[in-house]
Amino acid sequence: MHIMEGFLPPLHAAAWTVVAAPFLVIGARRIARITREQPQAKLLLASAGAFAFVLSALKLPSVTGSCSHPTGTGLGAILFGPSVMAVLGAIVLLFQALLLAHGGLTTLGANIFSMAIVGPWVAYGCFRVARPMGLGIAVFLAAMLGDLATYTVTTGQLALAFPDPASGYAGAITKFGGIFALTQIPLAVIEGLLTVVVVNLLVRYSGEDLDGVGFEHRLDTAGEAAR
Amino acid sequence: MLPIDRFAWTNRWSSHHPGERMLLAGGLLILTLVLPPVSTAPLVLITMTAATVLGAGVPVSAFIRALAVPAGFLLAGLPFIVLSLDLDGAPSLVVSAEGARMALEVGLRSLAAMSCLVGLSLTTPASELIPWLRRVGVPQAVLEIALLMYRLLFVVAARATAGREAQEARLGYTSFGRSVRSLGLLTAALLSRSLARARRLEIGLAARGFEGELRVLSRPRALSPRRLATAGATLLAVGVGGLSLSQVLA
Repeated sequence: MHIMEGFLPPLHAAAWTVVAAPFLVIGARRIARITREQPQAKLLLASAGAFAFVLSALKLPSVTGSCSHPTGTGLGAILFGPSVMAVLGAIVLLFQALLLAHGGLTTLGANIFSMAIVGPWVAYGCFRVARPMGLGIAVFLAAMLGDLATYTVTTGQLALAFPDPASGYAGAITKFGGIFALTQIPLAVIEGLLTVVVVNLLVRYSGEDLDGVGFEHRLDTAGEAAR
Repeated sequence: MLPIDRFAWTNRWSSHHPGERMLLAGGLLILTLVLPPVSTAPLVLITMTAATVLGAGVPVSAFIRALAVPAGFLLAGLPFIVLSLDLDGAPSLVVSAEGARMALEVGLRSLAAMSCLVGLSLTTPASELIPWLRRVGVPQAVLEIALLMYRLLFVVAARATAGREAQEARLGYTSFGRSVRSLGLLTAALLSRSLARARRLEIGLAARGFEGELRVLSRPRALSPRRLATAGATLLAVGVGGLSLSQVLA
């Protein structure tokens, strides 16, 4: 759920950028370390990022007839891990602003926080917690709750920026939350189903790619071996 | 798939130094955010449209098309700022003067800011903007990944379009269940192809002695003092115009 260019007041835009910054610094440091130890990991990360960008531009099937796009947050977090995903997600959001006029430069910080930080971390957490219940359930919950977490954060960001003149923050949260609940919960469920289909197909046909599910994990062990 | 990118490479200003366009669009974007929106935003919108269409020679239809999608989202969102929810007693929706004023300001500010973003991205390729992130402290490795990503995403996008067409031709999107299944197949195939491509690139580059740095040729372009001065004067004029207009309105 992108907040569009210029929509947030300057103070809010700046504040969300500051909030997002530490996560990006940690992710960027990690990527810098990984690529110093294995220069070829750059290609892998760039391919993964290009994939994430294209995924977010595909149209999601919809029951209501409205058109929407998957966030790819859940899949990305499961495959690549949340700290790397923060940086990849930030670059994807930058490209979405520059190439599709989707989102914006001043609202980049707020969008990074909801879509590249909170969404992936919640998805990753759900995946780890629900993993014993079976792969399908864990993947579904991760993708769906990751999406819902993103929408919840966006709702909060909008409510903070535009408190209701009559009922203040509570009214604004009800208002924006109500719209998102109606439009986004079905989409989150659809994205959950889609992600299950994707992971099942990957498990069946491209096991060696999923050793990279290890992506995060594999790079980690490689880093330790190098040390 | 990405019309904005096509104009970014072919417009009249593409041979100029990107810093000039960044000064104009970035400066206007900042002015839009900090000055009173009701008077400043229309000036910014007009200036940015004129610069992109008359200056850089981007067709006005392309400019409008690029602006139309986010502007549509903006229009859809504004009513929720105008309407205000009264929670005392029975919850009811009312139109408040305060809400209407806020919606007008946000709408104008957002539209003007979008015109800056669209103007910049229609005249400057993303690959020329990314290296500037170095100045705000983004590590080199991340920038290189972003630049590589920019080069790869068109390849992945072409594959996605081809796959989607093939699936549609085979009635892959005729019902909801099939659509989810088809999109899942497409996504899984795209991912494993992307990773396979990365592995092939790794091998190819390793064979050529890749040690972690990808160097590409870029055209050397000098900053033109005349164009910088024009951009600066435009910013000053818009700033002063916006401020004085707001005093007239008040």
